[in-house]
Amino acid sequence: MTLKSKFSLGVTAIAAVALAGTAAFADFPERKIQNIFPWAPGTVAHGVSQMIAEGMSKRLGQPLPVVATPGAGGVKAFNTALAAPADGYTIFDGYVAPLVISPMFGRADWGCDDFKPLWSATSNAFAIAISPTEDRFTDFPSFIAYLKANPGKTAYNGNGLSLPHMVSAKVLQSLDLVSRPVPYDDIELGMKDLRSGVLDWLVVNPGVYNANKDNLKILVTLSELESVQRTYDGADKAQDFGIDLGISGLAPMGWNWWLVHKDTPQDRVDILNEAMEATINDPEVRAQIEATGFVLTEYSPDQYSEVCNSAREQLESAKDAITWEEEAVKAAN
Amino acid sequence: MFEPLFQGLQLFFTMDAVFAVLAGTLLGLLIGVLPGLGPLMGIILLLPVTFHMEPVAGMGLLIAIYVGGSCGGAISAILVRIPGTPLAAATLLDGYPMAQKGRAKEAVGIAISASALGGVLGGIVLIFLAPLLARFALEFAPPETFALALTGLLVIALVSNEATSKGIMTGAFGLLISTIGYDQFANDLRFTFGVNGLLGGIHIVAMVVGLFAISEVIVQIKSGFFSRNPDVPWVRPSLSSALLVLSRWVNLVRSSAIGSFLGALPGAGGVVSSFTAYAIARSTSKTPEKFGTGIEDGIIATESANNATVGGSLIPTLSLGIPGDATSAVLMGALIILGFFPGPNLFEQHQDVVGGIFLAYMSANVVLFFAGILLTPLFVACIKFKKQYLLPFITLLCVLGVFSLESSTFHLWVMLAFGAIGYVLRRYDYPLAPMVIGMVLGPIAESNFRRSLVISGNDYSFFIDRPIAATILAINLVIIVWMLCPKVWKNRLLLRA
Repeated sequence: MTLKSKFSLGVTAIAAVALAGTAAFADFPERKIQNIFPWAPGTVAHGVSQMIAEGMSKRLGQPLPVVATPGAGGVKAFNTALAAPADGYTIFDGYVAPLVISPMFGRADWGCDDFKPLWSATSNAFAIAISPTEDRFTDFPSFIAYLKANPGKTAYNGNGLSLPHMVSAKVLQSLDLVSRPVPYDDIELGMKDLRSGVLDWLVVNPGVYNANKDNLKILVTLSELESVQRTYDGADKAQDFGIDLGISGLAPMGWNWWLVHKDTPQDRVDILNEAMEATINDPEVRAQIEATGFVLTEYSPDQYSEVCNSAREQLESAKDAITWEEEAVKAAN
Repeated sequence: MFEPLFQGLQLFFTMDAVFAVLAGTLLGLLIGVLPGLGPLMGIILLLPVTFHMEPVAGMGLLIAIYVGGSCGGAISAILVRIPGTPLAAATLLDGYPMAQKGRAKEAVGIAISASALGGVLGGIVLIFLAPLLARFALEFAPPETFALALTGLLVIALVSNEATSKGIMTGAFGLLISTIGYDQFANDLRFTFGVNGLLGGIHIVAMVVGLFAISEVIVQIKSGFFSRNPDVPWVRPSLSSALLVLSRWVNLVRSSAIGSFLGALPGAGGVVSSFTAYAIARSTSKTPEKFGTGIEDGIIATESANNATVGGSLIPTLSLGIPGDATSAVLMGALIILGFFPGPNLFEQHQDVVGGIFLAYMSANVVLFFAGILLTPLFVACIKFKKQYLLPFITLLCVLGVFSLESSTFHLWVMLAFGAIGYVLRRYDYPLAPMVIGMVLGPIAESNFRRSLVISGNDYSFFIDRPIAATILAINLVIIVWMLCPKVWKNRLLLRA
């Protein structure tokens, strides 16, 4: 091979690689994209993420599996996603627990602004419920009066550093009430123990409420939003009794925001965003999601930093409530 | 009682629903046979497919996978000593020795027949006793669940045959391993050593596949004869195994009842059911010493119990909205996604859907019976391959199955580590099954013990103030005293009795 032909071969090879690179870039996505989901597979939350993923997959022309990677309150999933390249092929299913709460307790070292946002996905609001046969308290004011008169004598489902527990602990702290939190893996198991009289009250989500409407009486929703009241069939909110829970907006709710690695090229983020926006505006997908009791939050990527950081600031105050509750329960018993 | 069934006929007898049950059962059998992929994984994989199906067809597909998958694991356990799922770990105790004696066809046939018949009996319990059992399940609060988990742990002594102390040691090792991960009561991590893969604890499937499958591959490699043609005769489909299972009807009915009952209690699950049924079958047998050597009753007990558990677990799932185990939790999620919230309202407002689901479950067991009998020759033919082809294929399936759990290479290392542990333990005659029991029951016992104390404000009398918990604990005490009793005394007592 002559020097000239070697040179032309080299130029051709470089040009081919460059063109291939450009083509790959332009053709994003050219293979499957993964959504790293931080909880156990097969749950309703997993199903809801799969519905969004399926809609995006149709629009992107590539599979988008939702890979459940449970462990350590979602930190394992975030670590797994962070270890993947920042190429847009890995999406973080950014639930509030691993995104905001775990760093607050020193279990992770990221913040809201360490990720690039896509659209927000869904929210899941909580409420305080009792058994309909309960006669010690029948509404929120009598509930408060009973717990005040019997500090540390009642028990409810409060699972470690989970969001429902943080929110309920914050509410109890705000009202100076003491009740023993009992960790359960699922609210459903707490529901069973409420029905058998082992627990005195319960923090529920819409799924558990919808499945057990005849066996639950909602005392108050833990959010001031009207959409949440609608989810709980018009139940009272704390503000209706002139009570400030000290926490508002998205902060007292479970929510997830789809995110990507911070260094992901913006044009790829734009492609993902376009597909996600179209999906969450698809009437069929919306109807499917709403039927599960989850609510689409519809915050745009531009609103991410403000909404996430605001929720973080409010939850910082709820963090102390867990410690306060631990000490208050010890003192009461 | 029959109203939901009549109303469900119209929803079930559609092309979509019947085909879904047929396909689901076959798929479940296949998924169960493959190491690592159990019914839970099968249901999770197929869940998105059901989003666009009619409710009974969608639930029928998933329930059929559950039924087929609960049985499929037994086939690989019997033929190659590899439980396709943790559910089949107990079936291995007698299934594999039976296959080693040249009775692979009978062993597989018995497993499939017992599974299908146990499933049908579980279905009958589901249809007739759902409200009663659901009410009873509600009585099982943390103290009762803890007491029952303790009973399950005592089963270790019964499944360890003569090596009781070794069984207790491996059981304790399983308990220790189960403590790895996040402790929700202390809000802290235990024994994770900063390793990301350990944050969620050791995955039971990675552990079981490593412990049984990889250790078996190592044993087979060490024994050589890679190119020898195994002496396995061709077999034809036959109903003789089903007749044999029916002739042991006491064991079949008792084990199915145990499976249905334990399935109805949230938290117990098929692994506990099958080991408990095995232990009871052994302790009530006139020839308990034959258990573990390849006895039909061992397979009948475990397989009928774990498939009856499926029916049992649907009771609290559908009637209370409280999942009986991890797999039924996913089924409950599927039902919600399909637009129906499980719970008392479901039975009142959507009897047709409930009836359709009952029919799908019963039909899946019937399909399992006939498909299993027809496919037995095909399954048995798998062990006709030379080792040089069979062992790499099995290893490949193990790797694929375990990797698919979370697309994680960490689980593959866990599988290999437990393969090595399993090999060493087997070499020194330590039983492996107790480790699985410890791993499964450890978190149930621990969390319910601690939960009880939190609820009662550290008052231990909580365990004996509740009649059911106190009764189970008293039974546990009797079992412990009986186990500690010298053999001579036991024989004297039995003779007097």
